[in-house]
Amino acid sequence: MDSHRRTAVNELTTPVRNFTDVSEQVSHLNGHKPPAMEAAAFHAASQRILESINTVIDGKSDAARLALTVLLAQGHLLLEDVPGVGKTLLAKTLARTIDCTVSRIQFTPDLLPSDVTGVSIYNQSSRLFEFRPGAVFANIVIGDEINRASAKTQSALLECMEEHQVTVDGDSYKLDEPFMVVATQNPIEMEGTYPLPEAQRDRFMARISMGYPDQDSEIEMLETHQATSPLAKVSPVVTAADVAAMIATVQQVYVSQAVKEYTVAVGRATRESPLLRLGASPRSLLQLLRAAKATAALDSRDFVLPDDVVGVAESVLAHRIILDRKAAGAGETPHSVIHGILSRLPVGQNPVDSTARSSATPAGLRRNH
Amino acid sequence: MTLAPERHSSRERPSAATGTAAAGQARAPTRVGAYPWAMAGAVALSVAGAALSLNGVLRGWAWYLPVLTTVMVVCFSIATLRALRAHPLLVAAGGFGSLIAILTLTFFRSTAIVGFIPSGATFTEVGKFIRRASETVLAESAPVAPNAGIVMVTCTALGLTVILIDALAVPLGMPATTGLGLLAILVVPATVKPQSVGFWGFSATVAGYLLILAGAQWFAPDSRTSADSGRNPGHVRRAMLTGIVALVATLAVPLAIPGFDHGTFPQGSRVNPWGAGTGLNPMITLGNSLRTPAGSGRITYATNSATPVYLRSVTVDNFDGDSWGPDDRDAERRPVAGQIEAGYEISAEEQVRQVTAVDTGSFTSPYLPLPYAPESIRGLNGAWTLDPATLAVKGSNTNSRAQQYLVVSSMPKITATALQQSSPAVRGISADFTRVPGNVPDIVRSTADAVTASSTTEYAKAMAIQKYLRSGEFTYSLQSPVQGGYDGNGLSVLADFLTQKSGYCIHYSSAMAVMARLEGIPSRIAVGYAPGRATGSTVSVAGQGALPEYEVDARDAHAWPELYFQGLGWVPFEPTPSRGVVPAYSTEAATPGAPGLFDGNGDLLPGAQGPIPTPGASAAPLPGAGSGANDPWQQLIPWLLGAGGAVALVLLMASPRLVRLRRRARRLRSQDPASEAAIPLAWSELRDLGTDYGLPPLSSETPRTYSARLRRSVLLGGAGGMDEAAHQAVRTLTSDFERRHYGRPVPDAAGGATTEPVDSRITAVRESLRNNAPLPRRFRASWLPASVLGRWARFLAAPVKGIRRLALPAANAAAHSWSRARDGLFRPRGNQ
Repeated sequence: MDSHRRTAVNELTTPVRNFTDVSEQVSHLNGHKPPAMEAAAFHAASQRILESINTVIDGKSDAARLALTVLLAQGHLLLEDVPGVGKTLLAKTLARTIDCTVSRIQFTPDLLPSDVTGVSIYNQSSRLFEFRPGAVFANIVIGDEINRASAKTQSALLECMEEHQVTVDGDSYKLDEPFMVVATQNPIEMEGTYPLPEAQRDRFMARISMGYPDQDSEIEMLETHQATSPLAKVSPVVTAADVAAMIATVQQVYVSQAVKEYTVAVGRATRESPLLRLGASPRSLLQLLRAAKATAALDSRDFVLPDDVVGVAESVLAHRIILDRKAAGAGETPHSVIHGILSRLPVGQNPVDSTARSSATPAGLRRNH
Repeated sequence: MTLAPERHSSRERPSAATGTAAAGQARAPTRVGAYPWAMAGAVALSVAGAALSLNGVLRGWAWYLPVLTTVMVVCFSIATLRALRAHPLLVAAGGFGSLIAILTLTFFRSTAIVGFIPSGATFTEVGKFIRRASETVLAESAPVAPNAGIVMVTCTALGLTVILIDALAVPLGMPATTGLGLLAILVVPATVKPQSVGFWGFSATVAGYLLILAGAQWFAPDSRTSADSGRNPGHVRRAMLTGIVALVATLAVPLAIPGFDHGTFPQGSRVNPWGAGTGLNPMITLGNSLRTPAGSGRITYATNSATPVYLRSVTVDNFDGDSWGPDDRDAERRPVAGQIEAGYEISAEEQVRQVTAVDTGSFTSPYLPLPYAPESIRGLNGAWTLDPATLAVKGSNTNSRAQQYLVVSSMPKITATALQQSSPAVRGISADFTRVPGNVPDIVRSTADAVTASSTTEYAKAMAIQKYLRSGEFTYSLQSPVQGGYDGNGLSVLADFLTQKSGYCIHYSSAMAVMARLEGIPSRIAVGYAPGRATGSTVSVAGQGALPEYEVDARDAHAWPELYFQGLGWVPFEPTPSRGVVPAYSTEAATPGAPGLFDGNGDLLPGAQGPIPTPGASAAPLPGAGSGANDPWQQLIPWLLGAGGAVALVLLMASPRLVRLRRRARRLRSQDPASEAAIPLAWSELRDLGTDYGLPPLSSETPRTYSARLRRSVLLGGAGGMDEAAHQAVRTLTSDFERRHYGRPVPDAAGGATTEPVDSRITAVRESLRNNAPLPRRFRASWLPASVLGRWARFLAAPVKGIRRLALPAANAAAHSWSRARDGLFRPRGNQ
């Protein structure tokens, strides 16, 4: 345990030193939005990031792309899978690719909230309480095995995630932008885990299951990872400012009325589905649309297509919805339910019916069940 | 969840004793749940409901209690055995056993052992009951009195139906086919009762049927059809909806379509499976008898008359009302005994007496076929009564089946001269035969007046009417009245007949009878048989020696008018062309043989001048008669109609294509991709093209996924080859449409769009589709484009959708309350 703590503290040294600069930078960022990136530069930067990740993680380009999507959509990412499939590696690679501050928290049952957020310490020389920032003060925070920590500590991190700020002893400290939490967790059936409550799962924009690599990728992995960690060869390909500009670009992606209607229809369909006990929340629809915008931008488009919504819907919604007891008993999974809903929901690609669709959708869906 | 183990056990019931019973042993070893009881209840409801419709086939309701008892007992015993997990064969055997026991208990208690075990004596009783039932079926007309025989047969049939339906629904697992068993019950009232099945019987049957389906679905879901829970409320909702729609349609359609009291299936022409005329109106069944392809109800007779005789069953003399029928005059009937008086004055010196031996065989009717006018009848079985006014003989407690009798009949020798000399003053007959109905249609009256305008004597008038009806203007047809919707009788039918000039004996005879009455001649319509054919064999009749035998059957059924002439009595005429035998006194051939007879009425016989005696311009022109000048036109009309029909047909066939072509032209009118609407219209056109060639876009498909599917399909060929242009066109159309539909609305509409004109892109796609599609699909896409037909179908279905939208909340509410009630009823308490 101690070694974990030490690692965390070691990685924290940089942010602590730059703490004042960072806070200045934060205020600067809040005052003026960074200029959006040109489409060509955006494309080049995103390609560099993805290529860099793919050199480390073999055969998981979809997961890498989704991780980048979440970063650009200002969300947080939850990586859930059995131990040993490269969750932490993906998180670390993503962090390493970007030239920004990174901290890593290894969650353990005895980790305290103050370890995450920071703590006020009485300085004998200056006779003042000084705030020592916790591990969360970084651009990218890797929360390893988040479900091993107690609920109290989880909550402390989740407050930061939602509000991008830390409150300690009544003082609020803004967090650096861009800010992204990449948490990994083992499936809840594993021993010694505290499952994340629904409300906290809802804070993560997307959840990815890494899954096992295919045969070729696995053989290649055995070769490349034999001698040294490939992570060592990764060097940053974009700066934090680049990422902020990319985020600004994503924010400017245009969303048409039709796509907004479609997104709402998806949310309503999950709420009306008899297979689900809990459907998608309005916040999840907001995150769905943000992720769709990032997808569109990564696809070099300045407008969102329904396809973008469809593409991220399973990753964004699956960890938020709760299956009905009977549906779970019948072998449905959240992914299969969302897939079923999307395969029935009318898109209204015909410009003639697009006006009539919004009223017809709920009835049409109800009939299909 | 509580029902899960029960469902399991009921589905694997044959092995239940070994496998699943062991699993559930801890709690309730014999419990199989509500399934057998629910299914048995549903079967009982459906069969008992279907039996409701038999009211009207059987008179009153007294028969319903034994029927209900039988159904209930059989259902109960089946359910009990099933609840005890008996072998399926044992369940069926138990059903049969309980059926036999309850029938014995109900009908043969006196001869049975301990009241319900049949003994040897019981079987002789059964034979008696069955004979009685078959007599009832043959002799009586619906509704029949519910005697023990017919009720026993009904109970047996319904009990067997219960066992059949149960076997189909439960062990065989084909609940949908149980409808056949129910249909077998409903067919009987549907064919026998004029008012068909009736609302309550039908509704109860439908409800029971839906319950059978629902029960089978809830308790034993078919693993092939649905992976999720078998108790999905959607099934109930769908079943309810289907049931409600079907019920509403069934009740509403007959109200909206006035096709069920005349036309092809008028009430009178319901299937009558037991031979001719079981007491129904002979006027109505006559048409059906004539139309039977194989003659039934064969009658043979032997007569010493020189010519074969007409056999007369009954007469119709009351021409009032919508539907004519024989007036039985029950008050005046008297038993047939001894000498029969004709009842009117006959002044002719010479009487022709004939002896006829009749064997009715399988002909079944309450009326006795007799040659006119009977003087004495010998050899009849049963009690028969005679109407003195018409000399029609009717059975009071028996029918004409298998009767053999000898009739002596006599008629005065009727000659044209005698008829000519007959006095117009009529005495001594009932006013029934002279009363002119009040509501005679104008066409009948004017035709009668026109036809007889130049005739002075009664006989001449009668001859004129007969001549008019036998003229070439009229055609004999059994079918055209059916097609024209005037197959029946009554004054309005008569008007139709005189307009259409096509019909059969009913129409001819009633036309002549009514027209004669209008002209002051007493008349009536005789219904019976035309003379028929000689069989070639002879029959020896006591006192007469061997007489030639003739036979008639249903195809010889006939009606003819009888007109009354003072001093001669009732004289038959034959206005129907090509039927029967025209009496000598009413043929034209008779008139040259009596020169000078018609001296004063020269124009009674216009000879070759034309069929209608319309002398001069003074006479009113006959309705519907075309003049000579119109003849070329009349010949042309069919051709014109045919040509017009062909043009209309071609137009109709081409119209989907025309609509499709016009729609495409309108969409592609604005070819500039920069203009506002060009790209969305082109996208619609692309979708419709795909639809026409069998690749319709799904509602859940985005433009991108549809475009990808289109490009993957074999219809668009492989990319890169000859079809590269089409692939490129689909790609650019898709991206242009996406930009237009989902992208930022920019004032410069051309932003990023391909500049190639849209119509050339659409043409490229169409060329590729045409080149790659197989010929049938190409033809369909050109001539019956699915995009147009689908839109028409949607348009036509719009009212149905509206009704569905209204019915849906109601169905949901019903399903909800039902499922709550079901949960309350069937969930075993305290179990799990």
